[in-house]
Amino acid sequence: MSLKAFKLVPAVEREMLMGDKARINVECIECCGKNLYIGTNDCFVFHFLLEEKISAGKITFAATKQLHKYLGFKKAVIELKAASALNRLLVLCDNTITLVNMMNLEPIPTGARIKGAVTFTLNENPMSGDPFCVEVCIISVKRRTIQMFMVYEDRVQIVKEVSTPEQPCAVAVDGHYLCLALTTQYIILNYNTGISQDLFPYCSDEKQPIVKRIGRQEFLLAGPGGLGMFATVDGISQRAPVHWSENVIGAALCFPYVVALDDEFITVHSMLDQQLKQTLPFKEGHILQDFEGKVIVATNKGVYILVPLPLERQIQDLLTSHRVEEALVLAKAARRNIPKEKFQIMYKRILQQAGFIHFAQLQFLEAKELFRSGQLDVRELISLYPFLLPTSSSFIRSHPPLHEYADLNQLTQGDQEKMMKFKRFLMSYLNEVRSTEVANGYKEDIDTALLKLYAEANHESLLDLLVSENFCLLTDSAAWLEKHKKYFALGLLYHYNGQDAAALQLWVKIVNGDVQDFTRSDLYEYIVDFLTFCSDQKLVWKYAEWVLQKSEEVGVQIFTKRPLEDKVSFNPDNVMNCLNKYPKSLVKYLEYLVLDRKIEKEKYHTHLAVLYLEAVLQLKSVTTDNCAEFTETQTKLHSLLQQSDFYRIHFILDKIKETDLHMERAILYGKLEEHDKALHILVHELKDFSAAEDYCMWSSESKDLPYRRRLFHMLLLVYLNPDSSDCELVMAAVDLLNNHAAEFDAARVLQLVPDSWSVQLLSPFLTGAMRESIHTKRMTQITLGLAKAENLIYKHDKVKLKGSPIILSDKKLCQVCQSPFCEPAFVRYPNGGMVHTHCAAKRLMNPNMTHHSQT
Amino acid sequence: MKPDGKVVLLGDMNVGKTSLLHRYMERRFQDTISTVGGAFYLKQWGPYNISIWDTAGREQFHGLGSMYCRGAAAVILTYDVNNLQSLIELEDRFLALTDTASTDCIFAIVGNKVDLTNEYALLLETEEENRPEKPVTGCISTKVQKQVHLDDAVALYKKILKYKMLDEKDVPAAEKMCFETSAKTGYKVDYLFETIFDMVVPIILRQQAEGPLQTVEITNYKSAKRTKSGCCA
Ligand SMILES: Nc1nc2c(ncn2[C@@H]2O[C@H](COP(=O)(O)OP(=O)(O)OP(=O)(O)O)[C@@H](O)[C@H]2O)c(=O)[nH]1
Ligand SMILES: [Mg+2]
Repeated sequence: MSLKAFKLVPAVEREMLMGDKARINVECIECCGKNLYIGTNDCFVFHFLLEEKISAGKITFAATKQLHKYLGFKKAVIELKAASALNRLLVLCDNTITLVNMMNLEPIPTGARIKGAVTFTLNENPMSGDPFCVEVCIISVKRRTIQMFMVYEDRVQIVKEVSTPEQPCAVAVDGHYLCLALTTQYIILNYNTGISQDLFPYCSDEKQPIVKRIGRQEFLLAGPGGLGMFATVDGISQRAPVHWSENVIGAALCFPYVVALDDEFITVHSMLDQQLKQTLPFKEGHILQDFEGKVIVATNKGVYILVPLPLERQIQDLLTSHRVEEALVLAKAARRNIPKEKFQIMYKRILQQAGFIHFAQLQFLEAKELFRSGQLDVRELISLYPFLLPTSSSFIRSHPPLHEYADLNQLTQGDQEKMMKFKRFLMSYLNEVRSTEVANGYKEDIDTALLKLYAEANHESLLDLLVSENFCLLTDSAAWLEKHKKYFALGLLYHYNGQDAAALQLWVKIVNGDVQDFTRSDLYEYIVDFLTFCSDQKLVWKYAEWVLQKSEEVGVQIFTKRPLEDKVSFNPDNVMNCLNKYPKSLVKYLEYLVLDRKIEKEKYHTHLAVLYLEAVLQLKSVTTDNCAEFTETQTKLHSLLQQSDFYRIHFILDKIKETDLHMERAILYGKLEEHDKALHILVHELKDFSAAEDYCMWSSESKDLPYRRRLFHMLLLVYLNPDSSDCELVMAAVDLLNNHAAEFDAARVLQLVPDSWSVQLLSPFLTGAMRESIHTKRMTQITLGLAKAENLIYKHDKVKLKGSPIILSDKKLCQVCQSPFCEPAFVRYPNGGMVHTHCAAKRLMNPNMTHHSQT
Repeated sequence: MKPDGKVVLLGDMNVGKTSLLHRYMERRFQDTISTVGGAFYLKQWGPYNISIWDTAGREQFHGLGSMYCRGAAAVILTYDVNNLQSLIELEDRFLALTDTASTDCIFAIVGNKVDLTNEYALLLETEEENRPEKPVTGCISTKVQKQVHLDDAVALYKKILKYKMLDEKDVPAAEKMCFETSAKTGYKVDYLFETIFDMVVPIILRQQAEGPLQTVEITNYKSAKRTKSGCCA
């Protein structure tokens, strides 16, 4: 309650009407534009001009009397209605409606009148469409009778008479519909069709009924129990009723309010929520009517105007008393009364204000929704939080202010928990809006504020913010991060702003323990990674020593893990110079060059081989049993020696001559194609037969079959060396033959095999060899057969082509050059096209020249 | 905004109409005052706006019922399961108000306040899926014997069909249209309204296609006598 929607302003004081004549009463009023008419109980009609004056924000009315006229009866004036289009005033007195001139109140010369009217009303939604005619509906003195008239400037015409089931006592009209208060009920009656519809019962004898048209096809009726009921011409109710007092005398509408009058008060209810909004004490009132939006009340002695306060004022009042819902409902309804542009600006502002009211009450969900729909400039919100807006921000809060708070400190009064809640809200709010159009134009302000909130709250999203696209202002953010000791984050900020040197410097400080920030326990690895992807060579060099000192293996990644598409290429020699002090790094780097990048430079390959070799030798000297590291290094050495074709073989060979690295030696001999030497070492010194077989395999890997056969044969010869009739070697020879039958030329092997061997012994080999040989034979036969068949097909084609004569005349043209044939030799294509021999030859050489040949 | 269809709650005062509607719309139960005149809510149901009218049960406002029911697509007749008279009143006093409803209007009979009965705990057990928001742990002894049983409601439903001269085959089955609810605990309240809304949608579609099927009150139909028109100056 207690909203100020209306103000009561006197319009006509009693002295102006009746002077000191005590028994004269106001009976009825009519207001049309500035013309105010008053009918009295002593048969006078007064005409005033009503001027509205606004001084110092206060509205006053000055009524100047134009005329007063005595109608010549001893009766009261019951009803006055103006028809301004006709310049007529309709006056009901003594059951007769007379037409008088609106200005001089003289009866019109024709004397046109309607007789036998108890009361009457005008149809505000007339059906005739004639602007110079008004439709008048009267309750006739004839019982249970309603009559409809057309009233023109100087004549009247009855158009319809309808009888009602009971005696009518009040009527309102809209289009063809009459809304009638009968003795016991209200009804809607279509006077055109005669169809009626009951609304609801009402005892007109006990209480004065009210029937009031309130808009297109809708009426307001006094209902039981002091209800103000709404009903449409369809006989339904579209709004919930308002609850008046039991003895309401009159009702009027001034959107969005229903105003009602009883003996003591004027009450104001909202049609929007049916709530009572205002009560104005008003004694002895007996008329309440609205005229073109102007609500007039009158006592017997005086006339007053209910001036509505501007809706904006009302809304602001509601907001001030934190009645957000009501304010919004009213604001929405105000759309009807305010020009669109103006309304939108106003409505947005109200939504924002409402948002701040919820905000202050920590009702963040509601606040957020209102901020969103009110398109709040986020800086309004940020500015409530001390120090969050960047110092460079030019933002000034809107005026008049959207809320009454200076800042959060004032709002929270030192309540830390509340403060936290506010901050958390802003975090989530900013995070939500930063990627929407709300942020347009203020991205710097938003992101900087968000950064500050995150940093202060130690929030993990701080890093996410800094590593993704953001608009944090450098100086402001840097100072804040430093203040909150977020050095790692500060580094990210520097990096985002292209200041990698500053970032690295800071991070290195953290790793070195010069400043403290425990954001990342793997910061060293992070820096290595950072340098790996850093395109600034100088910077990489600057910190190369530092990372290598920390860890040779990890540090070297800044050279070895660089992205393939890397624009900056490091000169390997420079890198190696640097890495000389870090042997482990050096190996890794050479591996990178040789194995990953596959650089075919003797220098690197030899260097790597030597480093492997040294490592193997060194490990061999310190460990007795085969430790994992040793095996690993040795495997690496082997595979390098086997796979690479670029190292200096003799150089390596010299280095290992004196050692017992037999396997390596064998590999090197193999590289030199000195297979017998290699195999000799493998068989006789290492006695590793499977290694020997492997040797044959990898040495011939990319070679042809005869080469491989030669190698295997060589191995067989080594096994079967007549000098040493080692039984073991014989067994190895047998196994070799049986397991690798395909790698041998069986004929040659059989010559070698000692006679003493049984067929049984070599049966797998022999079967294999046999099968192979038969297979080869059959394959060859098939090839032969196919070739013969193909040959036959060609022959067939040839015969066919030769079968019919081809006639060449000088009329025929060559399909290539389009000139005639001048000599008998020509070329004919299978499709029948004929060309010169030289043209065919040219075409054969240059197959693109096919233009004319195909038809 | 004009609603697409109307649902009306009818029933004696104090049976809990306002409480039911409040429970459904606002999701809570709170003290009410006896309704004056009527009130309504708008409910978005799929693409439709359904207006739900809460009427006043007090005798004084009885006369408004017909108007509120005019063109209704569904009427929810509400009684209090602990008050037999409230069921009787539905037949005696409220049924006639529905004469103005749409001719294909559906009827539901709802017995409210089951939470007060000693059968309630039993109901809860058998209806696991309709758990109220908080289990009622009060001792059974404070509960009272239910006065009105579902059978009585079913019987009333059949009487209504007879009154409306409807064939049982053409309308939803009585068992489907008789509900027992508790606005206090929320028991079956959503189920009630949602069942009704689902049934109202076809009626809305029909109304939109053909215009409202209202009962023309023949008794009140009087053709206007045409009088000779003329100038009566
Ligand atoms: N225990 C219990 N009490 C209820 C329930 N529903 C309503 N009540 C109570 O019953 C009383 C009447 O409820 P209302 O909702 O105002 O009844 P109504 O039908 O709207 O009454 P009128 O508006 O006068 O027609 C109130 O005190 C409610 O708290 C229910 O399900 N269980
Ligand atoms: Mg109620």
